[in-house]
Amino acid sequence: MLKIYGRANSSNVRKVTWVADELGLPFERTDWGRGFRSTDEPEFKRLSAFGVVPVVDINGFILRESNTITRYLCARARRDDLYPTDLKARALVEAWMDWGSSDLYAGVRPVFMGLVVKNPAFMDPAIIAAGAAEWTRQMQRLDGELAANGPYLAGANLTLADVPTGIVVNRWYAIPFEKPALPHVHAYYDLLGQRPAYQQHVRNGTP
Amino acid sequence: MLKVWGRKTSVNVQKVMWAVAELGLPHERIDAGGPFGRLDTPEYAVLNPNRQVPVLDDNGFILWESNPIVRYLAEQYGRGTLAPEGRHGYARADQWMEWSITEIYRDIIGVCFTNFVRVTAKDRDTAAIAAAAKRVGDKLVILDRQLDGRAFICGDKLTMADIAVGTLMYRYYTLPVERPKLANVDRWYGSLSARAPYQAHAMIDWQPMKIPGA
Repeated sequence: MLKIYGRANSSNVRKVTWVADELGLPFERTDWGRGFRSTDEPEFKRLSAFGVVPVVDINGFILRESNTITRYLCARARRDDLYPTDLKARALVEAWMDWGSSDLYAGVRPVFMGLVVKNPAFMDPAIIAAGAAEWTRQMQRLDGELAANGPYLAGANLTLADVPTGIVVNRWYAIPFEKPALPHVHAYYDLLGQRPAYQQHVRNGTP
Repeated sequence: MLKVWGRKTSVNVQKVMWAVAELGLPHERIDAGGPFGRLDTPEYAVLNPNRQVPVLDDNGFILWESNPIVRYLAEQYGRGTLAPEGRHGYARADQWMEWSITEIYRDIIGVCFTNFVRVTAKDRDTAAIAAAAKRVGDKLVILDRQLDGRAFICGDKLTMADIAVGTLMYRYYTLPVERPKLANVDRWYGSLSARAPYQAHAMIDWQPMKIPGA
């Protein structure tokens, strides 16, 4: 049985619950982290000294880091369609995973922390505006990429390449701030939105 | 022959070059980025539409993003050495590579290194440096525990996990920041810095990168 430790509204937990459902893998999730039980509690620290969600326990094998977890779950389920075994195809999927978690995410953080979490360190409108500008720049890059090579990031089918970016795209539409129309991103959002697992865990009204 | 695009002073290029050297692969490195420019050219956009370094060209197979490049090289050319065998061992190495990006990269490179190299002494944010160094030190305590009784992060062999985390360590140890005394991390860093590939590719003096007044 797969156990997932982490609150359902965490972007990194949602990567794991989304992928687990794509794999048809039953899981049990418990709330930990901001607004719930603290990850500093000994019960959590025994599981993972790092105090960061998500952590998973798969029949006693403990793993953290959301991108690593999704790669492991797909490899274990032998889902070549989501995470190719061919090393070159696999590496290209991983490159997009890193892009979606780093370059694309860099501008998201200040906007999300400022407008959604209302973290005092991010309440300066200049910080939020700079984040929004950087986020917009990367989303335009995504729009161009999907126009040229879509409909998914690694081609014709959903792969793990789409998971970090799919989380960010939901935030883009779920957080109200001024943004340009990006038709290819919107079509991508709707394409992902046809998937029950994405609807349930990502496109569910929570930024 | 492998080609790696990127200036040797980029920490992400260093990571890839260190892996290439550990694997003993014939290669050519082509300067790009920073003072060498090239990233804005149409030719470079074909290699990497994100216009960043490093880019790997393995006989026509083009790949960007340093951790995926290191994992690709490790699996293609170093299964059982840089890439641990078995799904669990591989996932454990992968999680430490992710950790290097999600937990310590921003503070070591984005805050500390940037402040000492790209900001003048007069504008340097010493409070931000101190806070970032404290966070890194706290996180390295967990790495110290991982290295207790192990020569390397995943056991008795150097793996892709050491490459991703270790590349950041030269800068961490050479920046003038407060560091906690961590016997296992110190010993591990000492063993990395005794390796010729690490010396050649990761221990690149960053002093010449400073802007005037830094």
